[in-house]
Amino acid sequence: MVEVGSVCVKIAGRDAGKVCVVMGKVDDTFVLIDGCTRKRKCNVRHLHLLDKKVKVTKSTSTSDVKKLLKKEGFSVVETKKKAKKEKSTKPVKKRKDKPKKPKKKKEAPKKETKKKAVKKKSVKKKGAKK
Amino acid sequence: MVEGKLRSRTKRRVYVKTPGGKTKIHYRDRKPSKAKCGKCGAVLKGVARAKASVMKNLSKCKKRPSRPYGGVLCTKCLRKKVIEKWLK
Repeated sequence: MVEVGSVCVKIAGRDAGKVCVVMGKVDDTFVLIDGCTRKRKCNVRHLHLLDKKVKVTKSTSTSDVKKLLKKEGFSVVETKKKAKKEKSTKPVKKRKDKPKKPKKKKEAPKKETKKKAVKKKSVKKKGAKK
Repeated sequence: MVEGKLRSRTKRRVYVKTPGGKTKIHYRDRKPSKAKCGKCGAVLKGVARAKASVMKNLSKCKKRPSRPYGGVLCTKCLRKKVIEKWLK
């Protein structure tokens, strides 16, 4: 029978093959487990009982459960926490702020040129007629 | 008459109804065979079954169950394998 503190192996799902300890009972079919697996509710049919037992209560933390499992001789793979990335000390290039040039008014000179061209054409035509 | 290469049974035939009311035959590629357990040969569930060109665009979790030996062994054989390891 599955009791609180009995060491088990998960045989189904993502954590299959991993060792866990029964932390408490939910009802006849479900128990709470913790250890190398994720801390979660689990069906009894998904567990394979090992002969060993560990003294635990509901409040024991996962790290303590792992330590207990290590004492019993189970290989516990500890997950590494991701180290925070240090900010790069390299000098970062910055763009030089160029002083903005005042915009030229484009409309005024264009009109002048057009007028000149028209004038020239008209002059030429007159000359041709003569 | 269709092309010679379509007259063999290498392609799958799909009957399609056209808007004009006629039925036409479309020729499509066959799917690959179902994935099977490496130990007992049972058909695996939760393993995608599509052409390689489709499979490469699927995410990893859509291709096989995310459990140890997922997509290789069936659940029954996996249980046996895990228990055997601890009985030794």
